[in-house]
Amino acid sequence: MGPKMRHFRQLASTWEFELDITKEVLRVLDEVLSLGGRSAGFTRDTPLLGAIPELDSMAVVTLITSIEERFGLTVDDDDIDGSTFSTVGSLADFVSGKLAA
Amino acid sequence: MQPDFFFLPVATSQGKDAGQRLCIHYAAQLDGVACAPLGLVLYIHPFAEEMNKSRRMAALQSRALAEAGFAVLQIDLLGCGDSSGDFGDATWEQWVKDVVIGCQWLHRKYPDETRKGRGPLWLWGLRVGSLLAVDAAKRFDEPCNFLFWQPPASGKPLLQQFLRLKVAGDMLAGQSKGVMEGMRQQLASGSSVEIAGYMLAPGLASGLEQVTLLPPAMSGPAPQVEWFELSTREDASLSPISAKTVLAWEQAGWRVNSHLVNGPAFWQTTEIEDAPLLIEATTAALRRARP
Repeated sequence: MGPKMRHFRQLASTWEFELDITKEVLRVLDEVLSLGGRSAGFTRDTPLLGAIPELDSMAVVTLITSIEERFGLTVDDDDIDGSTFSTVGSLADFVSGKLAA
Repeated sequence: MQPDFFFLPVATSQGKDAGQRLCIHYAAQLDGVACAPLGLVLYIHPFAEEMNKSRRMAALQSRALAEAGFAVLQIDLLGCGDSSGDFGDATWEQWVKDVVIGCQWLHRKYPDETRKGRGPLWLWGLRVGSLLAVDAAKRFDEPCNFLFWQPPASGKPLLQQFLRLKVAGDMLAGQSKGVMEGMRQQLASGSSVEIAGYMLAPGLASGLEQVTLLPPAMSGPAPQVEWFELSTREDASLSPISAKTVLAWEQAGWRVNSHLVNGPAFWQTTEIEDAPLLIEATTAALRRARP
């Protein structure tokens, strides 16, 4: 396998990894907010905070706890910031950032 | 079946009036006919909003157990549900005492000779209720069995989670920096903090922060623990921290049956949800366990 191919493979696996995280984040969202499968129509650009009425403070905390448990990571309280929860994509990026750290 | 609602008067250790606790008693029956109980069960509810979310499941399970021949008592702890006091009056110490009072009521109501099953009383805790059950068993001078629903290994993360409600609320209002630190300082200096409409007293926060799910000392024959966790995943397994805690109980000589059941985290979901498989499995486990 040439260096170009190796690079491509690496990209592909990273891309799959990101995709899995987004999928998993959507699964958690659906479960916590009792969306009943509505998250199937969500994309990375789907807005969360302020757009989904179910996302109140209790749901935010449950969401954080579920993410911690599901991905085995720890969220610092300073991370609890509006920008993290603005879209599906920002939340997924936050999780992959934590996992990579 | 109609459960019996009543208020249980409570006194402090100095004999002073400590208000009353709402209790719900489900009498035992078999095939729809009242019977001498096969066992006694005390339900201990979870923390703050989780208690409200799980009311329906607690009632469904209590009814199912009563119909399977068990006598069940539910007690609203000080400052919770319809019991006297505000949430801000609650301390960990008083909650543990309230649980012991519930145990004593069941024993008074059903002395040994009126029971078919003479096995130990079951302390059934949901989430924080499991931690309270263990602390209360250390003060109650009779052996107890435990029925745990989604037990936390310790209280510390639950306190953290509760304090986060305030951080999240402030985040939704557009500000959140330093909120957690401020609350911790306030509690440490002996003042209460208000979180999502609940006043949290330092005496409750410190108790919750210190409690762990360690097995109480045993007296008599090896008591039993029925340990339930819920998950909606097909490939789920007991969480690593729970597996570790179960091992500690087994090493201390307890007989532990752990169960993983498919169902939603009904104590925290946005809508009130049911976990019928949990009710089925719990009733079956207690029926199997009776001596």
